[in-house]
Amino acid sequence: MSLLGTLLAIPQIRIIKPSWVKQPSAMTMFSFVLVSYFLVTGGIIYDVIVEPPSVGSTTDERGHSRPVAFMPYRVNGQYIMEGLASSFLFSMGGLGFIILDNIHSSSTPKLNRLLITIVGFICILVSFSTTWIFMRMKLPGYLQS
Amino acid sequence: MFYTNMVLITIYRFNYRATAYMVKNGFYQFLNWFDERAWYPLGRIVGGTVYPGLMLTSGSIHYILHLLHINVHIRDICVFLAPVFSGLTAISTYLLTKELWSAGAGLFAACFIAIVPGYISRSVAGSYDNEGIAIFALQFTYYLWIKSVKTGSIFWAVAAALSYFYMVSAWGGYVFIINLIPLHVFVLLLMGRYSNKLFVSYTTFYILGLILSMQIPFVGFQPIRTSEHMAAGGVFALMFAVCFLKHLQSVTSKSEFKSLVIFGTLIAAGVVFLAVVLFTYAGYIAPWSGRFYSLWDTGYAKIHIPIIASVSEHQPTTWFSFFFDLHILVSTFPAGLWYCIKNINDERVFVVLYALSAVYFAGVMVRLMLTLTPVVCILSGIAFSNLIEFYLREDENGRVEESEEEEHTTPSKRLYDKAGRVPKMKHEQQKESSESSNAIGANLRSIVSVVVLLLLMLFAVHCTWVTSNAYSSPSVVLASYGADGSRQILDDFREGYYWLSQNTDDSARVMSWWDYGYQIAGMANRTTLVDNNTWNNSHIALVGKAMSSNETAAHEIMTMLDVDYVLVIFGGVIGYSGDDINKFLWMVRIAEGEHPKDIKESDYFTEQGEFRVDAEGSPTLLNCLMYKLSYYRFGELKLDYRSPAGFDRTRNAVIGNKDFHLTYLEEAYTTEHWLVRIYRVKKKDEFNRPRIPVASRVIKSPNFVSKKSTKRKKGTIKNKPVVVKGKRV
Repeated sequence: MSLLGTLLAIPQIRIIKPSWVKQPSAMTMFSFVLVSYFLVTGGIIYDVIVEPPSVGSTTDERGHSRPVAFMPYRVNGQYIMEGLASSFLFSMGGLGFIILDNIHSSSTPKLNRLLITIVGFICILVSFSTTWIFMRMKLPGYLQS
Repeated sequence: MFYTNMVLITIYRFNYRATAYMVKNGFYQFLNWFDERAWYPLGRIVGGTVYPGLMLTSGSIHYILHLLHINVHIRDICVFLAPVFSGLTAISTYLLTKELWSAGAGLFAACFIAIVPGYISRSVAGSYDNEGIAIFALQFTYYLWIKSVKTGSIFWAVAAALSYFYMVSAWGGYVFIINLIPLHVFVLLLMGRYSNKLFVSYTTFYILGLILSMQIPFVGFQPIRTSEHMAAGGVFALMFAVCFLKHLQSVTSKSEFKSLVIFGTLIAAGVVFLAVVLFTYAGYIAPWSGRFYSLWDTGYAKIHIPIIASVSEHQPTTWFSFFFDLHILVSTFPAGLWYCIKNINDERVFVVLYALSAVYFAGVMVRLMLTLTPVVCILSGIAFSNLIEFYLREDENGRVEESEEEEHTTPSKRLYDKAGRVPKMKHEQQKESSESSNAIGANLRSIVSVVVLLLLMLFAVHCTWVTSNAYSSPSVVLASYGADGSRQILDDFREGYYWLSQNTDDSARVMSWWDYGYQIAGMANRTTLVDNNTWNNSHIALVGKAMSSNETAAHEIMTMLDVDYVLVIFGGVIGYSGDDINKFLWMVRIAEGEHPKDIKESDYFTEQGEFRVDAEGSPTLLNCLMYKLSYYRFGELKLDYRSPAGFDRTRNAVIGNKDFHLTYLEEAYTTEHWLVRIYRVKKKDEFNRPRIPVASRVIKSPNFVSKKSTKRKKGTIKNKPVVVKGKRV
């Protein structure tokens, strides 16, 4: 100790950590993560690189141009809106699972618990069934044969 | 559908060929193997340009089995290596999840990774590829690393380094590990979770891992020379700085020293970072290679290295791939992440970082879906196990407590002489109310668990469907479905390759686009110019230039490269979209990168900027070699009664240039469905030889007219020496 004291004079400075520098809370971290997850699963990187239109259009037999939301049969292609819609559903399903977990800890009354469970459930089921329908639109013949 | 082992392994023929060579000639011969049948005329040093882990694994299994006198052919080992390793992956995922959360979550995660389509694609029998064994190595290294962080023992750190060595020998994706583990350490430092355990495990792991990884010939000095590995070195130096500052703190008692430690750490981090930047600038450290750079700057590959961007596996991922490969796990993944972030500790920081980086990388490249899949399985395992635990187990507890309470209350009613119950405190009341509501939710609970199980069942159904439809037929055999739902097998690839192997000279050189290089080398056993190991960009660009220039210019290149046969894949007859015309723009782009004067991408588009093969297509496109080879004689072909002749089913258009002849090439073979078309390159004396009138010939041919006619059957011998009696010849 004395040797160190002679070798190194500890500077008499007071450095104050700025007040805004603190470890972010779990909730902020998680919401940041969830937003980025939403963007990535929606194929935002694909949209940036390939630059597809937001919705496609076809011409029907009468010559009218009709908008098409999904790029059918193309596994490696998408329109911007379909990607965002389905990644919204993915995140909604994820939120449903988190909401289901939340009755665990809170000391909420009975009715609230019931409501929370139902809301969580609706989230999961709606997201699941809608994604299913999306898959059928994208890949006709999905889960058949 | 049953396929023989030979068919299954076809696309991985190169790996199989290399393994067979190694088993036959020994490991050292394998390291020195110079393959002159690929990359003609350059050849390829196989030993130095391949990750030998795969071959060594199957070679050593073969060796051990033969020691035990179990005579298995090396081919069977190669075919069944991937399923065996997927089993090992499930075990290591279980171990990793158990370390992170609980054994129950581990079981869930192991079940998920066993059937999830994102990993099944690499673990079906016959998928003899680096990734198959690499995912096992990846998971196992992470398990050992977590173990060593938890215990701080040198033993586990050494084990992690050894496992890392196996990973380096198996797959180029080891760079992911050597960046993720330092990132974990760095984030732990930032969170103020430094401990001596961390110091011991990281320093041991880094030094041993560094030395071991440099033993692989293909990696060589890269770990100390390239930017990809610099983060690990920087964190290593930072660890020492932090350790020193912590030591100083422990011997002094000044309270403000704590903040000095924090700032000292920050300064040290800055110094390390600047040093790396300076070394890179001075040229001691190679900058990021294009392949890794393209992960950060996503538009980079499209502009600068088309050869990487041209591979369909390197395309950015769409939502469809996420759902197709992960199904329900894609939405339980955030839930698992939520549990981990909520109850954070040292090792959960690791899995959170792993999840975040893997999600990003999977978004950039479809191929990296493979690194995302294990972490999704881990986190979904955690989520499902928590959910099930809560909804199944606490149910019983609630009932038990309720019945206990009944027991308490009933006697107090009867025995009124007993002291009345003390009124409950506030928190006790609350507890009771929550318990009672839990008990009332019992119905709800069973509904929840049934629906969750139903979701899991649907997940299993999806996995089975995807596996049987998308990943189980070898890609060399195309399966198509007719209008009545019957399955037809198109075996044109094998037909074409078999023709090559039977009807061409053994030394014949076949030019094709690089996608088919390994297949031609493996199945037709002929020399190729370029193949799937895309190490030489300029050579590929030369082939691309030949394909995209007109016939005359292409012939010059082809004679320069000694090409005997040209092979193109054409899907216009059956509507196969992965054919050469659809890949053609990449050939043009790659050729343009090396020969910007001769090839321009804009020449191949129409004025509206469209890529069309019909009559409105650009004349450069309609006259280039690839177009002619694909559509030669196609204009005469009428596929059915409704469509006109020369109707391309893949691009839904009538081709623009129907009537042309080939001068420098001739059609050698076309398979049943026109999928594979092979052309022979004519030699110099076979084409374009104008007939010179006899009078103007320099070298007169001897005037010999045969006297043999239909009446005179007797022939004469040319230049027969005339023997005259009494005269010397």
